[in-house]
Amino acid sequence: MKKLKKIKDEEIIEIVRSEDKEAYSEIIKRYEKKLLRYANYLVKDEHDAADIVQESFIKAYVKIKSFNKRKSFSSWIYRIVHNEAMNLVKREKRKVKIDEKMEFDSGVDIEEDLIRKELKLDTRNYLDQIPVKYCEPLSLFYLEDKSYEQISDILRIPVGTVGTRINRAKKILQKICQK
Amino acid sequence: MSEINRKTKNEELKIEDGVMAKVKSGEIKMKPKWYFVLGSLLSLMGLVGFSIGAVFLTNLTIFLIRKRGPGYGRLDILLSSFPIWIPVLAISGIALGIWFLKKYDFSYKKNFIFITVIFVLSVIIAGFVVDTAGLNDLWSHKGPLRGLYQRYGDQRGVLQWHREGRGGMNLQ
Repeated sequence: MKKLKKIKDEEIIEIVRSEDKEAYSEIIKRYEKKLLRYANYLVKDEHDAADIVQESFIKAYVKIKSFNKRKSFSSWIYRIVHNEAMNLVKREKRKVKIDEKMEFDSGVDIEEDLIRKELKLDTRNYLDQIPVKYCEPLSLFYLEDKSYEQISDILRIPVGTVGTRINRAKKILQKICQK
Repeated sequence: MSEINRKTKNEELKIEDGVMAKVKSGEIKMKPKWYFVLGSLLSLMGLVGFSIGAVFLTNLTIFLIRKRGPGYGRLDILLSSFPIWIPVLAISGIALGIWFLKKYDFSYKKNFIFITVIFVLSVIIAGFVVDTAGLNDLWSHKGPLRGLYQRYGDQRGVLQWHREGRGGMNLQ
């Protein structure tokens, strides 16, 4: 298991497919936090996000033999989460409110923690006001550190469109912040 | 550890445990490679099939328009007796072909409107080429499509219209 930590995602996938299906847990460990955060941007509900991520890992496992190992696993799994989230959004057709259940920590440095939480809440508040179409590439680029190429693969839109949407999102965000 | 971090950690553990329990128990299984190969093959066949169908029906539309002629004084007859289902099916074939094209990776990496325009133009040009090559004349006399050509290429309404002399020529 220790060896798995040092090898690339695509190689682990090959091991899962041919030797040891339990190696899939390493993939889950690597991605669940990032995917939970990403799904949360899209559906704005922690429980729904968790369901989406769990369902995505299950779908990815079932379809693992269709994965082309010459491509990026990261983009592939993000694409599955995107599809799952969009299905849920379409199904429920809802405008999700931000999670207001954030609680204060009773632990160390309350002031610093409060500022961090407020900043996080502000960012989420602002992102909530941007349509998903623009908010998604913006989140992927700035918060998930994905390249234009990777965002293009995840959202299945041309690289040029990724740039256009990010610029548009920035302009919308600027307007919201100036209000 | 803060409350939020603890909550996230719990969610993560639940996800990992939940998925891995299903993997280990065999509740979820990987679909075999052939399943996806078959899917790709069917998709390719769908694209090719709908493209061929669209080319044939476009060619048939061009052939019927040419045979009946959309010229002055004939448009009313053309519209009233033309088998509209042929161009409708041709357009549906093109639409389904585009839908299949969209499933391929290259479709989002390039400008899809451009790909669509190229596809539609290719179908129309191929339709013209088939018509110009004289295949319609051949198929209207031989082969399994003869009935179809005779039924729609020789419609009573058109002949009657010509017999009455309104077409300016005598077909008899």
